[in-house]
Amino acid sequence: MSIFAILLGLAFGGWLMAALEGWAVHGRFSLVRPLASALALLGREAVVTRKSDRLFFETAPILLLVAGLLAAAVIPLAPGLIVADLATGALFLNAALAYVLVALIMAGWGPDGAYAMIGGWRFLGQFIGYSMLIVMPITAVAMRAQSLSTTQIVTSQAALWNVAYQPLGFALFVVAAMALAWLPPFDLPSGTGDLAGGIEAEYTGPRLAVLRLARMVVVLALAGAVSTFYLGGWLGPWLPGWAWSGGKTLAVAALMLTLGRHIPRMREARFLEFCWKAGVPLALVNIFLVGVIALVVPI
Amino acid sequence: MTQLAQYAILLGLTLGAFAFVASLYALARVIGRTLDEPGKDVPASSGTLSRDPVWVRYHAKYFGYALLFLAFDMEMAFMYPWAVVYREEGLVALLDMGVFLAILFLGLLYGWSQGALRRQ
Repeated sequence: MSIFAILLGLAFGGWLMAALEGWAVHGRFSLVRPLASALALLGREAVVTRKSDRLFFETAPILLLVAGLLAAAVIPLAPGLIVADLATGALFLNAALAYVLVALIMAGWGPDGAYAMIGGWRFLGQFIGYSMLIVMPITAVAMRAQSLSTTQIVTSQAALWNVAYQPLGFALFVVAAMALAWLPPFDLPSGTGDLAGGIEAEYTGPRLAVLRLARMVVVLALAGAVSTFYLGGWLGPWLPGWAWSGGKTLAVAALMLTLGRHIPRMREARFLEFCWKAGVPLALVNIFLVGVIALVVPI
Repeated sequence: MTQLAQYAILLGLTLGAFAFVASLYALARVIGRTLDEPGKDVPASSGTLSRDPVWVRYHAKYFGYALLFLAFDMEMAFMYPWAVVYREEGLVALLDMGVFLAILFLGLLYGWSQGALRRQ
């Protein structure tokens, strides 16, 4: 039962976020537009480039969707309202999101097109930068919760949300999450105006529809992870739990989708430099600070 | 629910995603088929096939970062179990991992000083 509730929530959230992204890109807010363009994509021709690697080309959108769904499966919306309450939930989230990289490189390699290929390899470089900033802040979260289970991570924040307990980790994790979902200003693999769509360049019709849907699921899963790890998940007064976690997730996703559009796109070299010269030392400082606080203060 | 049942659910979710995509493709097929026309299947490169082959070796210009990434990624494998028992172990755990992380961080600083943190 909870599976269908969560899948429905994902579909609803994805639709809202697609409308919002359309607003940010085209300057017009329309709730019908995402549905119309999804139908239009299904009606379009599904062209496959000549000499393409069919296996990689066909697998990439599906793999991305599976990675996003599996990551969303360990995000709790309320006590009991979770697809799979694994004891190693936070680790499983990491493992699922690692396949985003595989899917994007497949999408780049598959069609045998120059732009797509460059987009895919660029994402590999981006991965070297952001991945440490995903795992290290999660470690600090697990240190406080004494568990990798996502539900226990939420209950550990009953006294104080992690965004106040470890603000440094929160900031690093949000930046890394935006880079993972290749949202602006980190949209190197699909850079419009630069790579002609990059990894999306050769996808048309229903395959493009699946690719875009999968990207939206990944964004929602990451926003859910931010709200679970740092914003106290379902914790909050008056409203029921699912409303709190759903609202937080949508708010974080909306911020992730819109904020970066006001910043120029970051070059890969600059991004790697930022991640390894500032991000990794700061993440280690975060782990140390949380370690000291966790020993001194009992909450 | 047992752990095994939960993994079964995750497997079901994966298979369900495959089925969902297959049904979308089938729906698109019902709406209309793709016409086979010459020149349509050229990759997006201004209408001509690219002069050079695409599937060649590229220079991984970030290899300095990549090597450091390997060291840090291995370290993360130790960090997760450590993080879970951290509060039980207390100060000893902080010192244990502190020494390990300090050595690793010195490695990062050394790499930085030798110019590894630079796109070659």
